[in-house]
Amino acid sequence: MFDRLVKGALALTLTAGIAAAQEYPSEPITLIVPYSPGGNGDITSRFIADQASEIMGVKFVVENRAGGGAFIGINSCANSDPDGYTICFISTSPITVRPHVIEAPYNPAEDLTYLGQFLLSKQPIIVRNDGKFNNLDEVIAYAKDKPGQLRWSAAVPRGGPHLATEAMFRAEGAQTTFLPSKGGAVELANLLAGTIDLAVISDYGPALDNGEIKIIGETSPGPNPQAPDAPNLSALGYPLELASFFGLAAPAGLPAEVTAAWDDTLKQISESAEFAQLMERIKTEGAYLNSADFTAQVMADYEAMGKATTEFGLAE
Amino acid sequence: MMESILAGIALALTWESILAVIAGVVAGQLLGAIPGLTATMTVALLIPYTYYLDPWVGVPMLLGMFKGSLFGSSVTAILVKTPGTPAAAATVMDGYPLAQQGKGEKACKMALYSSVFGDSFSDIVLIFGASFLAAIALNFGPAEYTLLVAFSLMTMGFISGARIWKGIFAMLLGMLLGIVGLDPITATPRLTMGFLELEEGIGLIPMLIGFLAVAEVLRQMELPRKQLATSTVSFSDDPADRRVSWLEFRGVLPTLLKSSSLGTAVGALPGISATVAAFLAYNEARRTSKTPEKFGKGALEGVAAPESANNAVSGANLVPMMAFGIPGDIAAALILSALLIQGITPGPVIFRDNPEPIFAIFTALLLANLVNLVLGHGLIRIARRVVTVPKRVLFPVVIVIAAAGAYAMRGSLFDVQLVVVFGLLGWGLTKLAFPTVPLLIGFILMPILESNLRISMLIAGSVPNPLAYFFGRPAFVTLMAVMTLLLILVLRRIFRDRQAARAAGMRGG
Repeated sequence: MFDRLVKGALALTLTAGIAAAQEYPSEPITLIVPYSPGGNGDITSRFIADQASEIMGVKFVVENRAGGGAFIGINSCANSDPDGYTICFISTSPITVRPHVIEAPYNPAEDLTYLGQFLLSKQPIIVRNDGKFNNLDEVIAYAKDKPGQLRWSAAVPRGGPHLATEAMFRAEGAQTTFLPSKGGAVELANLLAGTIDLAVISDYGPALDNGEIKIIGETSPGPNPQAPDAPNLSALGYPLELASFFGLAAPAGLPAEVTAAWDDTLKQISESAEFAQLMERIKTEGAYLNSADFTAQVMADYEAMGKATTEFGLAE
Repeated sequence: MMESILAGIALALTWESILAVIAGVVAGQLLGAIPGLTATMTVALLIPYTYYLDPWVGVPMLLGMFKGSLFGSSVTAILVKTPGTPAAAATVMDGYPLAQQGKGEKACKMALYSSVFGDSFSDIVLIFGASFLAAIALNFGPAEYTLLVAFSLMTMGFISGARIWKGIFAMLLGMLLGIVGLDPITATPRLTMGFLELEEGIGLIPMLIGFLAVAEVLRQMELPRKQLATSTVSFSDDPADRRVSWLEFRGVLPTLLKSSSLGTAVGALPGISATVAAFLAYNEARRTSKTPEKFGKGALEGVAAPESANNAVSGANLVPMMAFGIPGDIAAALILSALLIQGITPGPVIFRDNPEPIFAIFTALLLANLVNLVLGHGLIRIARRVVTVPKRVLFPVVIVIAAAGAYAMRGSLFDVQLVVVFGLLGWGLTKLAFPTVPLLIGFILMPILESNLRISMLIAGSVPNPLAYFFGRPAFVTLMAVMTLLLILVLRRIFRDRQAARAAGMRGG
């Protein structure tokens, strides 16, 4: 009902907008969040909407349309009018990773315009600090020596960090046992209890400071500030390395003035003190990319993932 | 440690969260006191709205709602002989006779003090017990979790219905519904019938709103008209009949202690409901009473025992939820889902690494008890009016709240349709006398059971000697022994009580 009212109001104001040919934006903007309320994706989306509303001077309607691993919300965004008045929040998995593994209702390379990135999280490979493994070489030597006996996990099964690590093992011809998980907190417990020997998770709290765990690699581009010496997968010559981002997208075929307006707005937001506070709160680092750079990165990752999927059979 | 305890307490003692607790208790008490709205149903109906609030407003409000609605439900049991929740059914036996004697206010106050006593008792056990169990749980792996969940399901299937086969059938149906969605290992869709919306599984909230709220409304709408009109009792003017004297309170104190301990013990075991605990406590109080002949005719102990026991269960139910991340009950599952949405993952790691939210929850629980006690007096004063809310007003309102809540969850009309489907399914099952609770518990626990069992199988494949691996784990062997023992004790106890209840001509649980 509410949904329809909003849409009706939008349609009405939209026609008026075209008639007057006003500058973007002149109407309320709907921001679709493909996840349930609460959670970091929702929190950052609502924050961006608040800030952008102040900068752009129009109202924002934040709509949660969760389900299907974010496919449902992003699909409804991809299918709306490319006028800049319906945009959506996106993260790595439903854009660069899962469409290669599971059939998605949209094509990330064709159906979306990438407006910009505002956050990048690190996805390190960690092991227990008990001397069993000290670096990735030792891990791979063990996995090759005892096929199937290395047990490991990642926070999101079939997420970027999982598949990048899997591609590394397959490139080495090492056989391992991946245990699907229900989130980083559970996997940290499993790592400490010895159920697994290696985990790819981003939230490990004080376990690193306590010296219980050690970071031995990084599955996303760029150095990890928590462990500057841990090598990136690409530096070691492995095939796949994926950025773990939060960003905004809109339907394909967006007018250039809309992307320009968002370049400007997102830049301002990412430089604000409030943004720094939010990053502190959700324990991540901001990383702004404008539409052009973000699109290039998404496309590169999407293609690399596609190539790795066929080359190493990651979909199985 | 001290620092994080204080930080946690501070999180829950901001004025926003204190107000949230008060608002939650008020909403819970009022809605709970309306006959036809059960405690879990109230929480299920209101939970989607808390997702939009800040964590430390939403969670305290939810806890307040939960405690308030439990007490509200007892008021209806006493005043109109309609337990607001099955757990309050045992309260009717002595509460209603008291009300007929004009001592309704005394009975309600006794119920209030007993509820708050049972709540506080089990909350304190929770605070110490959960931390202790969480420390042990750090050594648990998938194999141990599989055992825990399998144990819960086993006890559940046996004790939840009048007929064991019906309970087991309902539980299996729930487990079947629980596997809808992507396979946890291979990520292939199962039983989704092509709906993208079902790939993440059937949502807990639409399921609960359908089964608990819509089905219940449908069931009650079928009742003959005269049962829809609720008659109420009058209160005596004698001040002695309107309060619980210190002497009377001291008289029931042993009963309170015993029933609270019983409720806590039963509640900490996953799968056993508050209803069972209330009847167990009632029977125990009558068995050990010096004046058993007064029971059923308006004995204060007859109100104190089931009320303290069923409230103690609700606190103790949070023990496995907090320490292991396994909800032992529907209410605990609701609270767990709210915590997860707010980014708080209960389980062993949070106790060790990031305990602030845990202490904030403990503080909010104790605060909710206090608020419940204070506001409870107010509710008793207006209760006679609340319990007579006409059903023709109530039911449409419930249906609207149910639909809106299901939509608010994630902006999906599909979820609203699910609510309708499950409402009809729940109504049909109730008509055929299948119990709903095992179905819901089966649904809630199945995904946890499946993923842990299959991960255990993967582990078995990755070690040279699987049997040596599992039986070489001290935690696995200990758990196996403890649970076998518990299972025998619980079943013996339940069957004995069931026989006793049957002999006494009434049906427990």
